[in-house]
Amino acid sequence: MNFVRLVVFGFLFLSVVYICVSLYSRSVRREKLEVEWEETRPEGIHRDAFVKEGMKEYETGLRKRLILLVYIIPLIAVGAIIYFVN
Amino acid sequence: MRNFRRAVRITVFLILALWLHYVMPQRDIARVTSTEVVRTDFSALNRIFFAQADTGATDNPSRDLRFINTERKATYLFGLIRGGNQTMVYRNEDTGWIYPPYFKFDSADLQAEAGAAISTAEPYDWVVITHYGWRIRWLSIYPNAVSIRPAPSEEFRPIPWGNIIIYIALIAGALFLRAMWRQFRERTLDPLADRAEDRMDHVQADFAERRGRVRRWLDSWKSK
Repeated sequence: MNFVRLVVFGFLFLSVVYICVSLYSRSVRREKLEVEWEETRPEGIHRDAFVKEGMKEYETGLRKRLILLVYIIPLIAVGAIIYFVN
Repeated sequence: MRNFRRAVRITVFLILALWLHYVMPQRDIARVTSTEVVRTDFSALNRIFFAQADTGATDNPSRDLRFINTERKATYLFGLIRGGNQTMVYRNEDTGWIYPPYFKFDSADLQAEAGAAISTAEPYDWVVITHYGWRIRWLSIYPNAVSIRPAPSEEFRPIPWGNIIIYIALIAGALFLRAMWRQFRERTLDPLADRAEDRMDHVQADFAERRGRVRRWLDSWKSK
């Protein structure tokens, strides 16, 4: 029963962390794109279009998938603790 | 107000520090003198300082507790200074799947190891006992032993790698949280506040203009 509780609440907690981290990561990416456009001023590309294009790239990129580590690292940590303590 | 804020901050910091001191692993150099099992009834006061029944068993209001009686090297100032010998009693309970997250299920095996490590005749066999928790006599609470391994010598001083890693992770997490909050404030809250302020300005300007129009119309009735 305690195990079920740990899994359910752990999953809920990590989901909150996951959502926060992905919002943060997206916000940082957007800011970087805006700064990049500001500095390079590419010919014929509007600011919004430039940011939109960059965000599309981010949505399919590796960085976004790395956020899944939020779930994987605690799982590995718990496994390691169980192995070393018992 | 500033003093109040400071007091709140200090209180929160103290509670956090005490809690960390309670749950973080510590290591003692000790020699086991005996092991025993004591039937224990908890009170409302000290119940939170004990874990629950063994992971596979059901929890009752009173149960048998495993104890490890030892003589250990006293330590002061977070283990930086070593003192003489002192008695110490550890309890030996499963922490199970919940708090604190040691995931310890092997208290029966640990009790057997402690029994095998009993050393009452010189030269003594010293062991390293990893534990968390406090010994407070007037509350009848005991630190929970997590593992026992032989110590190379009486003077052995283990380096707390686990604690170092956990504290680095905690500090990194806190800094990350701060960065997240700052980003949120800069990109979401501040623009929202700006927009609200902007709208307020518009409304006020509108109002002033309308009042001006009414005033002008009224003025047109005045005799010149």
